[in-house]
Amino acid sequence: MTTSLTSISAHGALKGFLLSAILLLTACSATTINISGTFPAPLVQKLPLTVGVFYDDAFTNHSFIEINDNTGDDQYIINSGSSQIELFNTMLPAVFEEVVQLDSIDSANALNGLDAVFIPGIEEFQVGLPQKTRLNVYEIWVKYNMRLARTNGDYIADWVMTAYGKSPEETFQSVDAGVNDAANVALRDLAASFTLGFGNVPEIKEWLRSENFLEE
Amino acid sequence: MNILRFKFTYNSIPRLAFVLPAIFFLCSCTTTEIDEFRQSPTAISFDESIVILGRRQNNNYETEEDFVTCVADVVGRGQNSISVVDEQLFLDAMFPFFEPRTAPMRTGHLEQLMAVDVAADKLEEFGIEYIVWLDGITERSDQSGSISCTIGPGGGGCFGFGTWTDDSNFEAEIWDLDTMSSVGSISTDANGQSYMPAVVIPIPLIARVEANACSGLGNQLKQFINGSGT
Repeated sequence: MTTSLTSISAHGALKGFLLSAILLLTACSATTINISGTFPAPLVQKLPLTVGVFYDDAFTNHSFIEINDNTGDDQYIINSGSSQIELFNTMLPAVFEEVVQLDSIDSANALNGLDAVFIPGIEEFQVGLPQKTRLNVYEIWVKYNMRLARTNGDYIADWVMTAYGKSPEETFQSVDAGVNDAANVALRDLAASFTLGFGNVPEIKEWLRSENFLEE
Repeated sequence: MNILRFKFTYNSIPRLAFVLPAIFFLCSCTTTEIDEFRQSPTAISFDESIVILGRRQNNNYETEEDFVTCVADVVGRGQNSISVVDEQLFLDAMFPFFEPRTAPMRTGHLEQLMAVDVAADKLEEFGIEYIVWLDGITERSDQSGSISCTIGPGGGGCFGFGTWTDDSNFEAEIWDLDTMSSVGSISTDANGQSYMPAVVIPIPLIARVEANACSGLGNQLKQFINGSGT
């Protein structure tokens, strides 16, 4: 009887310890937010260009870590890479006559008929959480570096674009949902300014004119 | 057992729980004021549509999607209902022309937009006659009171009182796509005080401020566009 009681007590203590350990580990670990969404194809006149697009690893696997101000630990890991790819894969074929995805920048030279190579990149990513900003909105701000190059590697244009998205905080809404909504608004914002502003980037405008891609 | 400290007996609680809400129900009403400004005559036929869009350019607030949907529901239902194109469907189909950064802010911008063939064709495809821009917010103020809740082995309960004021201010600006001009605007200002007495259980007596602003604005908008609002 004594043995049995001891065994039960030891078993209970072990369970209690494991439970505490799991709770402690869960409390310390960062929450991962995978941004997901669908984007409409922009309604614009296509430019008569065949463009190769190259997404580097940093862009494809883009991840941002929000630090907990009190503890200094990772609080949220925001993975936006796959959504960025989804957005560009929807947007670029609507802007250019033909889009070819490249495995490397060097492979552009081997392909015939490419007019230019486009390489998007993310320079900065910021998130505003209501618990930190004291505003009742989730905010996402992204700074992009866009590059357009000739197939031989010479740059045509290298320019910066910013995207901003906010989403109002709602009752019983999770942080994941708030951040995801704000990120989707930011990605739409980027697509809007890219599609309407691409031809207005001075270097690109000049190049389009010189190569007779623009209808006068 | 905090309740005993406030010299209430359990016998009086059911009576209080009934009487207090009854008293405050009469008080938690909403005042709604609607102003209409008409610049030009309007009319719409059954095969034409409108779209109601929320303004989202402002830094510190954005017109709630739920409010836009609510007004669209009011306009699209009942007598003299008008066909309303779903906001998200319209935004996706017209992408990127009606995003927060790119949406036309004035009717002059609308003229520029209509000069873009793909955009003008899509608008015609929808059969949209009027674009209604909704801009506004519901703000909460004058929050006071406190409610404390206790849970013990014998049960639990809350006691206290809370009150707050909601103020909804929205403006609808109506653009005519034929004349590419603003034909008028309707503004609504609704406010009301809500109460939350708690005697064992909290009883929310919510003033339906935003709902009243929505139905008032929606019905006025319906009359305005049908041409009977003059």
